[in-house]
Amino acid sequence: MNISTDPWVWIAAILTLAVFSFLYRENPFYRFAEHLFVGIANGYAITFYWHRILVPYLFNPVSHGQKLYLIPIAIVGMLYFTRFIPKISWLVRFPIAIALGYGAGANIPRSIDANIIQQLKATIITRASFADWQQGIWAVIILIGVICTISYFFFSTERKGIIKPVSYVGIVFIMVGFGASFGYTVMARISLFIGRLQFLLGDWLGLIK
Amino acid sequence: MTAPDAVRNGFWDRLQRIDRRWIYAVIWLVVMVPLILPFNIKPTAMPPVSRLFSHIDTMPEEKALVISIDYTPDTQAELHPMTIALLRHAFVTGRRVGMLATSVYGLGLGEEALRQVAAEFNEKAATHEDSVINGEDYVFWGWSTPFVTVMLGMGERITNVFPVDYYGVATESLPITSRIKNYSDIGILMSVAGSSVPLSWVAYAQTQFDVRIGCGATAVSAADYYTYLNSGQFTGMLAGMRGAAEYEQLLADKLATAGSKLTLRRKATEAMSSQTTAHIAIIVFIVFGNIGYFVTRRRKS
Amino acid sequence: MKRQLPLLIVLVVGIFASVAFFIPHPIVRSVDEVFRNDVLRIIAAFSLVLGVGSILRHHFIKIKRKAEHWPFSYITLVALFVSAVIGLFGGIDPSRPGILPTQVGGFSFHIQTLFSNMMVPLAATMFALLAFFMASAAYRAFRARNFEATLLLVAAFILMLGAVPLTRIIIPPLPDFAEWILAVPNTAAKRGIQFGVSLGMFATSLKILLGIERGWLGGGGS
Repeated sequence: MNISTDPWVWIAAILTLAVFSFLYRENPFYRFAEHLFVGIANGYAITFYWHRILVPYLFNPVSHGQKLYLIPIAIVGMLYFTRFIPKISWLVRFPIAIALGYGAGANIPRSIDANIIQQLKATIITRASFADWQQGIWAVIILIGVICTISYFFFSTERKGIIKPVSYVGIVFIMVGFGASFGYTVMARISLFIGRLQFLLGDWLGLIK
Repeated sequence: MTAPDAVRNGFWDRLQRIDRRWIYAVIWLVVMVPLILPFNIKPTAMPPVSRLFSHIDTMPEEKALVISIDYTPDTQAELHPMTIALLRHAFVTGRRVGMLATSVYGLGLGEEALRQVAAEFNEKAATHEDSVINGEDYVFWGWSTPFVTVMLGMGERITNVFPVDYYGVATESLPITSRIKNYSDIGILMSVAGSSVPLSWVAYAQTQFDVRIGCGATAVSAADYYTYLNSGQFTGMLAGMRGAAEYEQLLADKLATAGSKLTLRRKATEAMSSQTTAHIAIIVFIVFGNIGYFVTRRRKS
Repeated sequence: MKRQLPLLIVLVVGIFASVAFFIPHPIVRSVDEVFRNDVLRIIAAFSLVLGVGSILRHHFIKIKRKAEHWPFSYITLVALFVSAVIGLFGGIDPSRPGILPTQVGGFSFHIQTLFSNMMVPLAATMFALLAFFMASAAYRAFRARNFEATLLLVAAFILMLGAVPLTRIIIPPLPDFAEWILAVPNTAAKRGIQFGVSLGMFATSLKILLGIERGWLGGGGS
């Protein structure tokens, strides 16, 4: 055992245990840790938004007489503050409109290509899919699975005739997919806990060699 | 005790009603004990991991590896080992590295990873060529917002997006900048993410600029990203702590083959024994839960 | 005007952003670049006001009304104020300190130190709690009630076992079978779902641009 003498490691360990104490039951230590986290997270964000965006991209150029068009842009940005003044809170719509408009507009053509066209290309079977016969069979299964999955979510017609068995095959694929996701989710959650224990047992208590 | 009471207080009934804190205690133990008394077994890399490793290993010398820290402290247990492994691989193979963060909370994590790995290599370096130097071998561009500005701007000129690096130094003045101007100088961009940011990299960077994207994802997201692996939009993927462990193993094998004396701690590999026991515990919980459910249900009917 | 003008801005900016993707003309590209690097960046920087302002308002109201657990709100406010002061005046690079000293003897309280030793443990541990809740939920709720649920369970078991290195020694084909499940049936299902989600997101983006979706305007102001 080689317990750390670094005060910050002790602070980190105590805060870690304070959050873990929630597992026994809710208590003031957990609440303290929770509120502390929210405060520091916001203070950290304020720091970097100031030092890495506002100072280099706004205050520095404007104070040197460059890019003076940034002044009206900054005024538009400051309209975010009006969110907290009820009489003029409608002004917050302007900066939101600019950010939202650009984000939505830029996203449309790009996500159509990335999430629909490229995915369609990967689903369609061509002769090239059978360059390796095994990969070709998996490609056929994927095509069948995609069609059946989509048919399961098609609620505009009654499930009868061919749609019924096709939808059922879709459910089978979906259940396997969700099972795979659940299995991996278990791994993910356990990993997060392992990380904390590696800190407590390793960095703090020195039990891990 | 009446017959119905005897039924309700049977072993399986009590097991169904067990206090959740006993379950928590079991989980704590099955994860803690193997960390102290590990039984490490060499992980075998799956195709998405080996494809990624092979690409980084064999990409042209003039191409850089860019790592985007798209995760935050909540998911750093799974993803930080990936960043460390990727940096080590890049420095071992002499690749130039660029790093950025798309979240302000990823900055500290990225800086920590660079500091740790640079120190590992510089401790053992005998000459200047062996060392990894900030501004020459790697650059930490830092963070900017919003991410559409970063992802699209990097396609034109990175220094327009990041005129100063994380440390406040003008990026145009760094020697590495002449070698990493935009996406055309990048061999692969690794998005190590705890959210859906890799999909944004594909949509913005790959669609318009045709840059290769790799993904380091939490296991929660990894199952969903197989569609992008299948379509070739992701060159490769590291899925959770397991992916990190497999990558660490591939790197260790490479170093062993090269006769390297570097001894690097492999945190993800160390975690695999706890992962094993925890998975077995969860399976046992589910099986026991179901047995209890069916036994008590049969008794009631 | 209070609603029409923002809707018009969304439409104009959105069309410009969409169309700029297709037009390689240098003037369009340079206007796009200036818009992204200057306009969007500055506006995004001020968007932090919404988050921080909401937190401050929430906790001030809690203290004023003496709501449940109100004394803890002081913790948030003090932590926010102290860490912001340290970060704003102490600098962000420990090797280049600001006007506020962030070291007393060997003890550093630089913003990066606070991040590494307070924020990271707190955030990571909060998410680590999920492991326990997941285990408890798996025990209590995961029931093989029918064929579909059993299928989900079996797939989950195969993945969980396939994910750990020990399985390759005990059941050698299982990890590769787990990988096949991910690469084939899982891919098929997720892709089918993804088509629906992507088309839905495209429709929503279009509705926002065209002013059909107006939820972001909030209430008030005609």
